Amino acid sequence: MPKPHLSLLLALGVAWLVSAFSGHLDPYHLDVLIGVGINVILAVSLNLIAGHTGQFSLGHAGFMAVGAYAATAVSLFLGPRLIGDSPAQGGFAENALFFGALMAGGAAAALAGLLVGIPSLRLRGDYLALVTLGFGEIIRVLLQNFEPLGGALGLNGIPPYTTPFWVIAAVATTVFTVGCLVRSSYGLGFRAVRDDEIAAAATGLHPARYKVVAFTVGAFFAGVAGSLFAHFKLTITPAGFDFTRSIEIVVMVILGGLGNTLGVILAAILLTLLPEFLRPVAEYRLVLYAALLIALMLLRPQGLFNFTVRRAKSRAPV
Amino acid sequence: MSAPLLQLSQATVRFGGLTAVDALDLTLHERELVGLIGPNGAGKTTAFNLITGLYPPASGTVSFGGRPLAGMAPHRIVAAGIARTFQNIRLFGSLSVLDHVRAAGNLHRTASPLQSLVRLRAFRESEDAITARADELLDLFNLSRFRDAPALSLPYGEQRRLEIVRALATRPRLLLLDEPAAGLNPQEKIDLVALIQRVHREFNLTILLVEHSMRVVMGVCQRIAVLDHGKKIAEGSPDGIRQNPAVIEAYLGSEHATALFHH
Repeated sequence: MPKPHLSLLLALGVAWLVSAFSGHLDPYHLDVLIGVGINVILAVSLNLIAGHTGQFSLGHAGFMAVGAYAATAVSLFLGPRLIGDSPAQGGFAENALFFGALMAGGAAAALAGLLVGIPSLRLRGDYLALVTLGFGEIIRVLLQNFEPLGGALGLNGIPPYTTPFWVIAAVATTVFTVGCLVRSSYGLGFRAVRDDEIAAAATGLHPARYKVVAFTVGAFFAGVAGSLFAHFKLTITPAGFDFTRSIEIVVMVILGGLGNTLGVILAAILLTLLPEFLRPVAEYRLVLYAALLIALMLLRPQGLFNFTVRRAKSRAPV
Repeated sequence: MSAPLLQLSQATVRFGGLTAVDALDLTLHERELVGLIGPNGAGKTTAFNLITGLYPPASGTVSFGGRPLAGMAPHRIVAAGIARTFQNIRLFGSLSVLDHVRAAGNLHRTASPLQSLVRLRAFRESEDAITARADELLDLFNLSRFRDAPALSLPYGEQRRLEIVRALATRPRLLLLDEPAAGLNPQEKIDLVALIQRVHREFNLTILLVEHSMRVVMGVCQRIAVLDHGKKIAEGSPDGIRQNPAVIEAYLGSEHATALFHH
């Protein structure tokens, strides 16, 4: 069996083990674990868009929101009709419904990603960042004013389907999919497009296609993360998916090193745990957090976990 | 003679009020090695950008193998069989030497990207074939020892060579070389002449070469077209071009005039 598949199976095994013993673990630790997992999915999926493909996106929380609301619509509104009002807790019916909800969340977000990907064909750099920022805000404002989905109050009473098992399995699937994609000869095109679009096209690669694929796949997993988030927090509001949430994810990707999957995973873990460790200093937490970020950016601009020194551009031609 | 492989007729490129390429007629037949020369700003690179789809023609046509190229995106033109190199080397900063050639081999990938997730035999075979072909090309052009190095860490001459190899990996019928001798030392220029001749011979290619180095142009080209201010002012054999008064006039006062006269 190919190595990546082995690691995927291993991760799924760990997921099963954790869920089997979750009764013996501290609920607080489990909560932190779930939070870490969701952020890892978000960071790895944004890394495909912003890191590997170089499309700086400030709208990742928007994709997350689309996924969260779509999945909640499935489990909250469609669920009772599909599996009845009181199915066995943690039984097959519930898990099957949740799987469907995750897929629906991912698919809805992927569709949004496709839509945002199209302007990215004509815009680059700061301009694209502004468009994606605008997209995230549009999603938030639309949800705020859309009463059938709860409006500004959001949705409550979401069934608590998110378990450590689902989170670990989703993390493993995300890392596996993005990893396989960027490591294949096809996936070399993502970095080629980031490095030099004109040269990529002159090499026969379709820059527009790569950007749209990156946005669509990245958004899919952000949607899955949003779905997990909704069924973990049990209540979602449009305000929970605002601009600062997008920035948090961007910071994880930059801190880990753009395009460096392992670094981005570590950064996501670190940045999720950091606020937990800073709890003793309570009200100074955010100040300290911000100060740490600034310090890290100044000291390691290439990313905290990036150990290869990017070489300066080659000699200019004479 | 056979039908032309590449044909530009009355092709014109304008940037606002500036006509960079002015009603250019140029015909290349299969297996020809043609030079395109002219003083700085004559429109040589613009002609390349026109052929490779980076600029649309304001008027006139470009056709390749009898098919018009108008409106085709650059990557489609590569797939149709035209590959190029760039005047100022454009390599991918984050890819290794091997990955440059593998990325270009993508054009002939037999497995779909979705198969990268399942990694069954068809996918592995497709990947292995691309890597094997890339290694073969690197070997052929003495770049194997740099295989896994970042492309930008290569010496300048090797970067130029890698760009040619990347273009060849797309399996073109027509290769456009944009000033491949720029920045090379005299010995590297001699090697380049041999390389171009070898590529022309062994890959069954048609080559269009833009070059300032007269030594290279006169050394390898069967036919030379001369541009000045976007217009073609002469076309013919290297010897004919060297003695053409219009060409000498265009080059007079430029640093290349001496090269032209004293070759």
